[in-house]
Amino acid sequence: MIDLEALRNCVRNGIDFVKKQRDVIDAEIFASWNEHITVRLNYTTDIPCNGVHEPKSTQFSGIGLLVVFKAGKEIKVGFGSVSNNVTSKGVAEAFQKARKNKVYDPDFKSLPVPTGKPVLEDYHDPAVMGISDEAIVDLGWRGLKGSLTEYNQNHYNKSIIIGGDIAIIKERMAIVSTKGIDEFDESTILTTNITSMIEKESVKGTGWNTSTHLAGFDPEEAGCASAKSAIKTIGGERISSGTYNVVFGRQPVTDLFTNIVIPAVSLSSVNSSDTPFLGKLGKKIASESLNVYDDGAIKGAVGSKKISCEGIPTGRTDLIHNGFLVGFLANNYLSRKFENVFVSFPPRNGFRYHNGGRNHNIQPRICPTNIVVEGKDEAPSQSLLSKINNGIYIGRIWYTYPINGLAAGDFTSTVIADSYLVKGGKIDKPLKPNTVRINNNIMDVLNNIIAVSKDKKQTIVWGGEEVVLAPEIAVQGIKLDSIAGFIS
Amino acid sequence: MIQHAASLKNCRYADIRYGIHETKHANAEDGKAKGMSEDASISFGIRVLAGEMSAWGYYGQSLGESESNPKSIHKILTLGINKAYARAVANASKKAEFKSLAPSLTAVNLAGIDPCNDTINAVFDEDPRNLSLKEMLTLCTKISGDMRGVSKDVQYAYVEVQTGINRELFCSTEGSCIDQSYALTQGMVSVVAQKPGGVPEVCYDYAGDLLGWEVLKGKNVYKQSLSDFAALRTRETVELTEAEFLPATTEPVVVVTNPHFNALLVHEIVGHPTEADRALKLETAYAGRSWLFRDFQDNELGKQIASPLLTAYSDPSIQGYGHYKYDMEGTPGKRINLIENGILRGFMNGREYAAILSHQPNGSMRATEPHYVPIVRMTNTVFANGNRNPAEIISEVKDGYYIVNHRIPSISESRENFRISAQKVFKIENGEITKLFRQGGITADSKDFLMNIDAVGNDFEVFPIPNCGKGQPMQVMRVGNGGPTLRSRARLTGHQ
Repeated sequence: MIDLEALRNCVRNGIDFVKKQRDVIDAEIFASWNEHITVRLNYTTDIPCNGVHEPKSTQFSGIGLLVVFKAGKEIKVGFGSVSNNVTSKGVAEAFQKARKNKVYDPDFKSLPVPTGKPVLEDYHDPAVMGISDEAIVDLGWRGLKGSLTEYNQNHYNKSIIIGGDIAIIKERMAIVSTKGIDEFDESTILTTNITSMIEKESVKGTGWNTSTHLAGFDPEEAGCASAKSAIKTIGGERISSGTYNVVFGRQPVTDLFTNIVIPAVSLSSVNSSDTPFLGKLGKKIASESLNVYDDGAIKGAVGSKKISCEGIPTGRTDLIHNGFLVGFLANNYLSRKFENVFVSFPPRNGFRYHNGGRNHNIQPRICPTNIVVEGKDEAPSQSLLSKINNGIYIGRIWYTYPINGLAAGDFTSTVIADSYLVKGGKIDKPLKPNTVRINNNIMDVLNNIIAVSKDKKQTIVWGGEEVVLAPEIAVQGIKLDSIAGFIS
Repeated sequence: MIQHAASLKNCRYADIRYGIHETKHANAEDGKAKGMSEDASISFGIRVLAGEMSAWGYYGQSLGESESNPKSIHKILTLGINKAYARAVANASKKAEFKSLAPSLTAVNLAGIDPCNDTINAVFDEDPRNLSLKEMLTLCTKISGDMRGVSKDVQYAYVEVQTGINRELFCSTEGSCIDQSYALTQGMVSVVAQKPGGVPEVCYDYAGDLLGWEVLKGKNVYKQSLSDFAALRTRETVELTEAEFLPATTEPVVVVTNPHFNALLVHEIVGHPTEADRALKLETAYAGRSWLFRDFQDNELGKQIASPLLTAYSDPSIQGYGHYKYDMEGTPGKRINLIENGILRGFMNGREYAAILSHQPNGSMRATEPHYVPIVRMTNTVFANGNRNPAEIISEVKDGYYIVNHRIPSISESRENFRISAQKVFKIENGEITKLFRQGGITADSKDFLMNIDAVGNDFEVFPIPNCGKGQPMQVMRVGNGGPTLRSRARLTGHQ
């Protein structure tokens, strides 16, 4: 483990060295240490198994150096990185690489400049930083216990599958630049996602839990919730293909935003002309009841950071307001490329997330933090069912992709768990998992929102980097196709 | 080092993978240079099986060049072994404690393999280490500029190239010691074209192989230089902006799918559901299960799941992104017949899963980098070649569609249903290819599609798929997928 002081000393001493080098106009030095711990669960009553399949971790650290060089009448920019060496020798080596790698990029304008003061301080958990191997393993078994106990108490002890994981991410970083940035950050993230099934009943349930602190983290509760949800959906029925009013639960809302909406409101998608929102800034793109923003400074949210990986304090970036597109997520590079006299994009979202941590080896790309989805007039969750009256409550979806490319807006997904038929504004029967495919266009979904719930929960999806503070959302006119008839 | 692991109390097995990836990289956008780099990443991963009710523990870490001396490596690996061991022992202890609540918990068993000692060298004509970064950057800049120049309707053009050599050492307490190296060269092109007021058409594709720079000079599945490949994809994308949207159908129609499309098809509906860890439910929370295996009594092994014309296999010995001699457990890789004349014959496995299924281990455990845990992955997983001329297959279709080149997939949880979009869809009328459509694809239940295959072409190809995501944490792995032209039935999907 490399402590924060070592990282700060490295970047502060390093910038002094780099500033003195020939042809250097500006420079930014980033140093980080990260550990990503995963405890994977796999329990099957009918197949020999391990329960906690493998407690594992990866650890990485190093320096990333971005240098702006004078090159005749032009400037050239070079990036160099060195792994596992946060010393002056490491800085010198990274600098040589940056010099060798420099290119003339006409779109590069300037390194980031300091803007404002960070909101978050001291928000990591020292107990997580120092967590022992035994404690890590124990967290996994607790998650399993939550699920197993619930099943046993309800007398289900055959055809059970329990899977998922506990993930712990520890991050430390420091960054200094010739533009006056001198910042550091330290964060701890704990998440668990547990899925359990009673396979012979074809039911599946999901439970999850997130925290920045060990004391607030409860994998047992997540395990229990997954079992409860699976049991509740026994006796599921199929539906015919057609158009339905739908309440999307928190996981589907997160899935849709993570895979479709948020990539479409990133300046990187604008840059590549691959977003359905190109040319739509200031225009109505969704129901007037929808507000969406990214906020990396929310206390207690697992996507929060004190500063971005460019040293910019995190904060709120409004994206959709009363249905109007009002902003895009940006890093420094694309913010400067696209700013003009009419519009600017606060560069709060330049992060170096890769391999589960803030990676010194890559340059900052645009990454969301905490995505907050709100309604203009929010309603109690229960009332969303009466708003759709007859339809489907969708609790979990899977493999949500922009099937014809992001710009076209078409997406598809399948409904795999935690879902119900709704009749007369009430839950009627469970929906049989894996029998429905959603085929829709995201613009139709956003414009057909009729209600948003007040209650929200921090929700993550597999492979997603951000957290969505997700409500439940009622939408009319969703096309659902009946699939996999041969399985029945 | 491995002997230190073997000496630990109740350590039943341990292995170490230590590797270095040396890569050169360059990219450009719209005729403007964006970046270039030359770097080496060094990392290791240690697996330990220990404890009375043996369980896994794992530790992985990246290293810096400054640590790559014998003394530092010795110290770091010792710490890593101790950490993996501590986790394994803690895990085994908990497993024993939980046995009364969870009776199916067992000690880990590994199917036996013979220890191997071998050295495999990288194969290339043009050594990646001799290539200049400036040459790579100049190539990317020129090609992306040329792509923009194809038409005023091209909105964005991006080119990225990489070349390098990877080397990985594997040692186990069973006595295996394997040193494998391979070259890797890849070019990626991405283009967006749009008519004023129209819906953008987006295309990205790859040329690559486990060879040297000659790959991007034409020694690839397309038999084209990167420049020609990029120009082709750009022209096709521009052409598509003038095509109509494909109308969806509510009923299945006759479809002929080309080898490029079938690369993604075999990947999604054959490759993934025949991964043994998925079949044994380990992926339930992530990528799902497999409709081919419910339990030991209820599964499709030995049963007809596809047309008798169809055979599919996974083979790391053939050239492609999934080529290797030994997997990351030291098991020799070999051809695995997954489907033979429509009958399900086997699963890709690792030693632990082979033991559970009472199958022979077949060398399919891979990890993206040494610090990741190996998991069951495809190798070169393909539909086997047939004996029909693809032109004849099309000429026999009175009313159908020709589905050309894959784009994006979405597959249901147990792989029992799929929707895959295509770059191009052509109408076939009376055996002739007529109209071009865009923003379309096909959807079907997997078994229905496989059973309805009534023609298999003789134009077998293997394509690079560089971005198969699996595992927690996610590992993005390169695999080879492909096959010949096929004909079957599916519903058409279109722009919503």
